[in-house]
Amino acid sequence: MKTICPRCESPGVTQMHAGMENGQILWRVWHCKDCAYTWRDSEPAESIDPKVRPAWAQMKGVDIDSLRQVIPPARKPT
Amino acid sequence: MATEKTVSLSAEARAVAARVGSLRDFLDYLGEHEQCVTWPDAILPEPDIRNISVAAGNNVSTGPAVIFDKIRGYPGKRVAVNVHGSFGNLALLLGMSKTTPVRELFFEIIRRWGSDKPLLERVAPEKAPVNENRVDKNINLYDLLPLYRINANDGGFYIGKACVVSRDPLEPDNFGKQNVGIYRIQVMGPDTFTLLSIPAHDMGRQMLMAEQHGKPLKVSVMIGNHPAMPMFAATPVGYDESEFAYASQMMGAPLRLTTAVNGTDILADTEMVIEGELQLNQREVEGPFGEFPGSYSGVRKVPLFRVTSVSHRNNPIFENIYIGKGWTEHDTLIGLNTSAPIYAQLKKDFPEVAAVNALYQHGLTGIISVKNRFSGFAKSVAMRALGTPHGTMYLKNLILVDENVDPFDLNQVMWALSTRTRANDIIVIPNMPMVPIDPAAEVPGKGHRLIIDATSFMAPDNLGADPHLVDRPMGPEIDALMQRLNELQKGGA
Repeated sequence: MKTICPRCESPGVTQMHAGMENGQILWRVWHCKDCAYTWRDSEPAESIDPKVRPAWAQMKGVDIDSLRQVIPPARKPT
Repeated sequence: MATEKTVSLSAEARAVAARVGSLRDFLDYLGEHEQCVTWPDAILPEPDIRNISVAAGNNVSTGPAVIFDKIRGYPGKRVAVNVHGSFGNLALLLGMSKTTPVRELFFEIIRRWGSDKPLLERVAPEKAPVNENRVDKNINLYDLLPLYRINANDGGFYIGKACVVSRDPLEPDNFGKQNVGIYRIQVMGPDTFTLLSIPAHDMGRQMLMAEQHGKPLKVSVMIGNHPAMPMFAATPVGYDESEFAYASQMMGAPLRLTTAVNGTDILADTEMVIEGELQLNQREVEGPFGEFPGSYSGVRKVPLFRVTSVSHRNNPIFENIYIGKGWTEHDTLIGLNTSAPIYAQLKKDFPEVAAVNALYQHGLTGIISVKNRFSGFAKSVAMRALGTPHGTMYLKNLILVDENVDPFDLNQVMWALSTRTRANDIIVIPNMPMVPIDPAAEVPGKGHRLIIDATSFMAPDNLGADPHLVDRPMGPEIDALMQRLNELQKGGA
C-alpha cells in the first residue's frame, strides 16, 4: 500500500531515514513535502493513523499558503 | 555591556564549577549523587522517551537525569533528558545539597545575579572536542541524531533544548551582540530545519534585519551543553550583553569557547554543533508543538535554515527536554531565572519586596511576598511588576502575600489566600498584552490580568474582628530542626 501523509493525506512523501536492528529495517521516518509532517511508522496510531488522529490536528484541504506567518518575509523568495 | 562584577562562591560551589566543564562532566557528577540514571531496557523512540521523561520530571524535588543508550533502530546513539528537571539537580550545579529548599536556591541565584565579567577561555578549533568529527557532505540530521516526537500531536521531531548562537547580521564582529538563545527547532528535510522566534526576541530581530538588508544570518545550534548554558541562554539579558559572559560568571568558572566554521563562538566541549544559514525569505510549515502553557501552538509558516556542516564529539549525547502540560523540565530550567530579574527590578524601587516566585509556566502566575508599607501598598507593587520587561507580557496572575509568607511554599500561599483575601482585594485589568501562546487569551496576544492581594490588612482598612496573627516560628532555626528530624528519621543520632 502506498504511504500517504497521516496529516494531510498527500501521497507526496519522502523517506528520510530507516532505523536498523540486527541488519533489518525496524522503522522508517517519512516527511511530507506538502504539509511538512514528519513521522516514524513505528509510532502509536494517535500520531500516524488519520482515522485515529484528532480532527483538529488534520490538515487535509487546508490552504498552506494562507497559514499565519510568525515573521513575514521582507521580500518574495527568489 | 559586560561589567567587572564577579561572584564570590562557597568552597563547594567553586569545586563544582572547577569540576563541571561539560554536559558529560555534569552527568557524571549527578550520577555520583544518585541524580542520573541510565535506562536499562531497550526502548522505542515513541512513546517510550516521552513517557520516561514525564515520569522523571514528575518528581520536582529530586527527579533524576535519564540517559537512554538502547534506543531501538538507533544503535550506538544516546539521548539525555531531565538534566535540569529537578531542583535537586539545580542545587548540585550551584554547589549545594540536593535537598536545598527552592527558596534558598532562589536567594543563591539572586546573590549571583547581575555578575557578568566574562570568564572565557579560547580553545583552538583543532583542539576542541566538538570537532572530533565533522560532516559536511550528505548531511542527514535523522541519521546523525536519535530524533523523536516529544508530544503525540507535534508536527514533527523537535530539538527543544539547543542553545543557538548567532551574530548580528549588520555587525557580525560585535561579540556582545552575538546572541545565544533557546528556540524550538523542527527538523524538516535531511539538512533543513525551521527555527521559531518572534520579532520581540533577539533571534527574531536578527532574522528581520537579515532579510530586510539581504545579509546572511549564520547560526550554530549547540546541542548537549555545559549545564550553565541552557540556564542562562534562557535568561533575558540586554541585546548587547553576552550570554556566554553571564553564564561563565554565574558559574564562577571559565567557559571554553572555540570558533565554528561560520565564525560564531561555540562551546568547545559541546556534544554537537549544527551550523546553518537562514534561507532568506523562505518559509516552511511548522508545528503544532506542545508548548509550555500545556497546549499545542498552531501550524504556521516559519523561517527555514539549511545545514552547512555538523561537528560532534565521539559518541555524542543528544540532550533534549520534555515540555508540555506542567510540571516539566522547562519549568525547572527557567523558573528561578524568570523570578530573579523580576525580584531585582522590584527591589530597586520597593525594598519591602522579600521574594518573587514566578516558577509557574514562565511566570504566567507569579507570587510576590512584600511587607505592606501602608494599606493597599501591595497593589502598587503588583502594578510595578506588570511594568517590568517580563511582566509586560507574562505575569498574568499575580498573588501578593506578606513578607513572612514564603512564596515558594504553596501551603503558606494558600493560607494567605484563605485568610487574607477579601473579594474586593481582587483586581482584573482587561485587554492587556499577553503571550500569544497563552490558551486563556481573549485573542492571541491580548487578554486580562488578575491581581489578588492576599497581604494583611493595615489601618485604615477594616482590620476584622480579631486581627492578631499567630507569630509562626520560622527561619534558620526551624530549618535546622527540620534537618535534624530528617536525620533522625533516617536512623541518625
